[in-house]
Amino acid sequence: MRISVEQRLRRPRWLMFAVPLGSVVFAFLVAAIVLVATGHDPVSTYRQLFDAAFLQRQSVDQTLIVATPLAFMGLAAAAAFRMKLYNIGAEGQMYLGAITGAAAGLYVGGRGGPAPLPIAAMVVAGMLGGLAWALIPGILRAFFKTNEILTSLLLNYVAGLLLTYLIFESQSYWRQTKGFNASVFPTGKQLPHSAVWPGWTLHVQGGTTIPLGAFFAVGAAAVLWILYRLTRFGFEATVLGDSPRAARYAGVRIRRKIVAVMALSGSIAGLGGASQVGDFSHALDGDPNGLQKVGYGYTGIVVAALGRYNPFSVVLIAFLLGGLENAGNTLQGPGFPAGLVGVIQGIILFSALGGEILTRHRVRITRRTKPTKAAASATRSPEPAT
Amino acid sequence: MKRRKLALAVSLLALLALVFASAGAGRTVAHQAAFKVAWIYVGPHNDGGWSQAHDQGRLYVQKMLGSKVQTTYKENIAVGSQFNQTVASLAAQGYQMIFATSYGFVTPEIAAKYPNIKFEQATGTLVTKNVSEYFGRAEDTIFLSGMAAGYASKTGKIGDVLAFPIPEVVRHANAFALGAQYAHPGATVRVVWTHSWFNPAAEKKAAQSLVAAGVDVLGQNVDSPATGQYAESIGVPWVGYDSNAQKFAPKSWLTASVYNWGIYYLQRVKAAMAGTWKPGFYYGTINDGYTKLAPYGPGVSQANQEKIAAVEKKIENGTFYEFTGPLYDQSGKLRVANGVKMDVLKGGTNSLYGMNWFVKGVIGSPKG
Repeated sequence: MRISVEQRLRRPRWLMFAVPLGSVVFAFLVAAIVLVATGHDPVSTYRQLFDAAFLQRQSVDQTLIVATPLAFMGLAAAAAFRMKLYNIGAEGQMYLGAITGAAAGLYVGGRGGPAPLPIAAMVVAGMLGGLAWALIPGILRAFFKTNEILTSLLLNYVAGLLLTYLIFESQSYWRQTKGFNASVFPTGKQLPHSAVWPGWTLHVQGGTTIPLGAFFAVGAAAVLWILYRLTRFGFEATVLGDSPRAARYAGVRIRRKIVAVMALSGSIAGLGGASQVGDFSHALDGDPNGLQKVGYGYTGIVVAALGRYNPFSVVLIAFLLGGLENAGNTLQGPGFPAGLVGVIQGIILFSALGGEILTRHRVRITRRTKPTKAAASATRSPEPAT
Repeated sequence: MKRRKLALAVSLLALLALVFASAGAGRTVAHQAAFKVAWIYVGPHNDGGWSQAHDQGRLYVQKMLGSKVQTTYKENIAVGSQFNQTVASLAAQGYQMIFATSYGFVTPEIAAKYPNIKFEQATGTLVTKNVSEYFGRAEDTIFLSGMAAGYASKTGKIGDVLAFPIPEVVRHANAFALGAQYAHPGATVRVVWTHSWFNPAAEKKAAQSLVAAGVDVLGQNVDSPATGQYAESIGVPWVGYDSNAQKFAPKSWLTASVYNWGIYYLQRVKAAMAGTWKPGFYYGTINDGYTKLAPYGPGVSQANQEKIAAVEKKIENGTFYEFTGPLYDQSGKLRVANGVKMDVLKGGTNSLYGMNWFVKGVIGSPKG
C-alpha cells in the first residue's frame, strides 16, 4: 500500500466550499478532544456555543457587535492576502483609523451642521488614517523589498502605544480634561451627539440593532468584489499574486500595485476603526484593557483565511466567528477555561490553511500488486527489432 | 472514487447534525433559590495579583454562603464592548449582581440597560440607582509596607515599579515613599513606568533599570510578581502588592499591602439578598478588614515588625494619617498645609482621587 501526494490537474469547484467546511469540522473535532481531555462534554458545549451565539435573547445583537469589526478586519486582510501581500497590520491600521475618525467626529460634530456631515467626515478620516499607516509597510515592501509581515506586525505595537499615549499619558485633543471623573482616570472625550453613528433596530429577539458599520462592511465587501472581479486593477492584482513574473511581462506596474493594494487594505481597516468609535465606544478608547486587548485585527486574519479571500464569504464568516467570540464569553467561567475559544479559533486557522494543501493536491492510496510471470513478460519492454 | 467522496460528505454532514441536534441533556438546572452573582476580571483569575485577590473574595463569599449563592467569574474581559457582551450573557442567565473589578467597566449606558442588576464597580466614581462604587485605603497599608522597605534599605535608595500616571497609582507611590521616609529619614524612591497593569516582561526590565540606578530595595504597584522574581534572583529585598506572593520570592519577600475584598463582598451580597442593598461610595479601611499587611518575610526583624505594628495601631485608632500636612512636592513647594488631612474626593489635586504630584523624595515624573 502506498500513500502518495500528487498535484491536482483541475481544481473542482466543490472544493472551494468543502475545504473551509472540512477545516471547521476538523477543528471542532480536535477541540472536542481537548474538551474531553479537560473534562467537558463536547456535544453540550457546542450546543451551548450555538445557543449563546445566535439563539438566546439579544445574542444576535451582541454577535453583530463583534462581527462588524471582524468583517472590516477580514476584508482588509482578504484585500491584501489575495495578492499574496500579507498585511498583518490591520490591527494597527484600525487604531489609526479610530484616532483620525475620532478627531473628525469631535471636530466636525462639535461645529454643528447637518447630521450626515460628521459621520461622512469620520468615514473619510478613518479611511485616510488606516491608509496612511498601511503605506509605511507598503512603500517599504514596494521599494526596498522589506518583508511586509514584519513591518506591519511591529507597527501594530507602535500604533497601540500611540493610542495609549493619546489618552493615558498626554492632555491631547482626544482626552477628556474637564470634570472630576476625568482627573481620576484618563478617558477619551465623548463624541457629540451628531457624530454618533445610528443603527437600525429590528424588533427581533428582544431588540436587535444592526450598527451602521455593518452596512458599511457589506458595502465594502461589494466594492472589493467588483474591484477584484470586474476591474483591470483587480485583474492585475490577481495576476501579480499568482505569478509576479507573468505580471511583470504583462506590463503590470508592480511597485505601484503593491502600494495601492496596501493602501486599499489599510483604508478598510481604518474604516473599521472609525466604526469602533462611531458605533460602539463613542470616544477614543486608549485603555490598554479596552480595544487593544480584544485583537480584532488578528482574528480578522482567521476570518479572511476561512473565507478564502472572497469578500462576501468573509462577511459571512465574520458573522459566524463573531458568534463564536460572543459565545465564548458566555461559556467561560470557573469550570471552563477562557482561552479555549481562542484555541478553537487557532485550530480553525491551522486547519483552514492546512486545507489549502488539499485544494492543490490530492492524497492517493494505491495498492501495490505483485506482477505475475505472464504479466511480467507482457510488460517487459519489447526488444528492439534487429 | 466518487462514491467514497459522497460517503465522506454524508458522514461529515451527519456529524454536524448530531452536534446540533443533540438533546438538552447537557443543560444544568439552576437552583431556583440560589442568588446568582458574578465577578468580572480584567486579567486572569490566577494572575498572582489584582484579579486573584478579587477571586479570593469570591471564593470567600461562596464558602460563607454555600448553596444559597451561585457564583461565577469571567476573566480577561476587555473594557468596552466585550464587557457589555459579558453582562448581556450574564443577564440572560439570570445573574442579579455583578462585581466589575476594573475602572471603566460599568458605564451609565450599561447600567441603564439592565436596571434590575446591581452593579458594583471597583476603583471608579459612578454612582447611580443600580451602581455602587468600592475601593479603599490601600495607601495606609502601602505606607506600612514602605516602612518595611525603609528599614530594609541600607543606602536609603528604594525603587518602585509603577503602571500608569493616574492619581490612584500616584497616591500609592506617595504613600510608599512617605512610609519609607518615616522609617528611614532621607530615603528616596525612584520610579519607573511600565505603561501596563500586567506585563511581567516590562516589569522585570523596569526592576533591572532601577537596580542599575543604584536602588537596594524594590517595590511595586503592578499586578504580577515579576519584580519579585528578579529581586530574588539577585538577592534584593522586595515589597509586593495586591496579594501574598511570597512563594515567588521566599527570601526577598518583605511584605505587601493586600486587599481583603471578601469581607466587603460578603456584606454586599448579603444586603442584596435581603433587599437592603443601597448604592454608595465605599472606601474601606484597615479597621473593617478591607486591607492589611501580608505576612512578613525573613528580612523584617522582630523589632521592626513591632514598630510597624505600632504605627498600624495609630492609623486604626485615627491618631495617625500618612496624608496629613505638611506635605511638599518634588519642587519643594508646600502643597498641603500643616495639620490638614487630605480628603478622598474633595480638594481637586489635593484630594486622594485627584492627586497628580509626587511628594518630595520621589525621583521620576508623575506625568509618565
